[in-house]
Amino acid sequence: MLSYNSLRIVCPFRALLHPNWLMTNRQTVNKTVTCSAHCVSNNFPKKDTWQRQNNLKPTGNERKLQYSTYAASSPRNYCTGQFKLNCWNCKQPLDQTPAFFCMTCKAVQPPEEDTSLFNIMDCDYKFSLDTHKLQKRYLHLQRSLHPDNFSQKSVEEQEYSESYSALVNKAYHTLLKPLSRGLYMLELKGMVIEEGTDSGADPEFLMELMEINEALDEVKTPEEANKIGQHTKELALVSSSLSGKQAVLTEEIDAALLKGELQSAKALLAQMKYFANIEEKVKEKLSEFM
Amino acid sequence: MAIVSLRNSASSLLLFSRRLFSPELKAQCLYHIKVVDHYENPRNVGTLDKNSKNVGTGLVGAPACGDVMKLQIEVDDHGMIVDAKFKTFGCGSAIASSSLATEWVKGKSVEEALKIRNTDIAKELCLPPVKLHCSMLAEDAIKAALSDYRIKQQDKKEKRVQATG
Repeated sequence: MLSYNSLRIVCPFRALLHPNWLMTNRQTVNKTVTCSAHCVSNNFPKKDTWQRQNNLKPTGNERKLQYSTYAASSPRNYCTGQFKLNCWNCKQPLDQTPAFFCMTCKAVQPPEEDTSLFNIMDCDYKFSLDTHKLQKRYLHLQRSLHPDNFSQKSVEEQEYSESYSALVNKAYHTLLKPLSRGLYMLELKGMVIEEGTDSGADPEFLMELMEINEALDEVKTPEEANKIGQHTKELALVSSSLSGKQAVLTEEIDAALLKGELQSAKALLAQMKYFANIEEKVKEKLSEFM
Repeated sequence: MAIVSLRNSASSLLLFSRRLFSPELKAQCLYHIKVVDHYENPRNVGTLDKNSKNVGTGLVGAPACGDVMKLQIEVDDHGMIVDAKFKTFGCGSAIASSSLATEWVKGKSVEEALKIRNTDIAKELCLPPVKLHCSMLAEDAIKAALSDYRIKQQDKKEKRVQATG
């Protein structure tokens, strides 16, 4: 039974052995390259990435390393050196990652743990995502994965389709909005925005936020119908200046994440969060007018 | 995977049924009555003249939830806080925490106000664990206002020294 300590020892040793692989790994993360087959992630490499490294000639030592790291990362699979997952139904190997359905028996598969949401939605791991592609992929996946398609199937299939469908929903909604997408990308790199006061916040920025919020507060729901037009215009002004600011922020966050500047990305995402809150308030006010 | 999803759905079903059949648990899911009181009848909402030498302004933000809080204190010549005003844009707990903070600092000296802790605020408002950071924000706002006041007072002293020297 391998402990986590041995896993840690293996990691740097592996880094010595395959520096090229790790280099490509890091580079492909930062490049805007379609990487469906190469399943890149910044976490500890999952089982699927090992099977993709066809260019590495497996030596005896390497096999041992591979085996020990694999077994430690998923202790439930005490299989003898197999890195591919098998279909729960027909036991045939699943060739795709992520595998939604078995190629052989067409049974729906359970979602793999720790699969990146980017992988599931087959989107490039970058902040400037193509949301049209994302939406198409989402509809395509739900058409086949939705639990309604499995009402006549076995209990396992119903459960797997439910969990996969829910995961696809989560992936779509997380990746759709820039704020949640950025926060998720930070999370993948082990960074979260802590709760509590931001001591490094720019006082002028906070002052600006206060002023926007106060201006928004001033816009009361008018009693006279003819005032609605005027107030709607005021709200539209606030809304458009917000959109402008958010567009600038989106570009800056994209640049920061591409360069790997996580701290500045985190600070920018925090700013985006403040603006997102204001945007919510604008929407609420607008709906009050309706 | 099936076991996990089964457990999740079972636990969510339990939660749902608990909400349906236990009215006292249902109350815990809502804001505490004290928080609602501060939200509906906030005390000391407003602004003080931030250019005045006797006014300290604390402006703090919480990036995780996007809340912004401004707390201002007016201090007399004896170091006693005679007035306090706040403006908070955020959740009900944040508004209640800052409203309570302005109530508490009034009548205290600058040194006494420094001793106000977020745990006291949270206890008074019965804040749930997920909202404890709101009370932290209020404590930080008090400290920021006091710090701003102190800086202004030091500037005032230095100017006086320069004028006489």
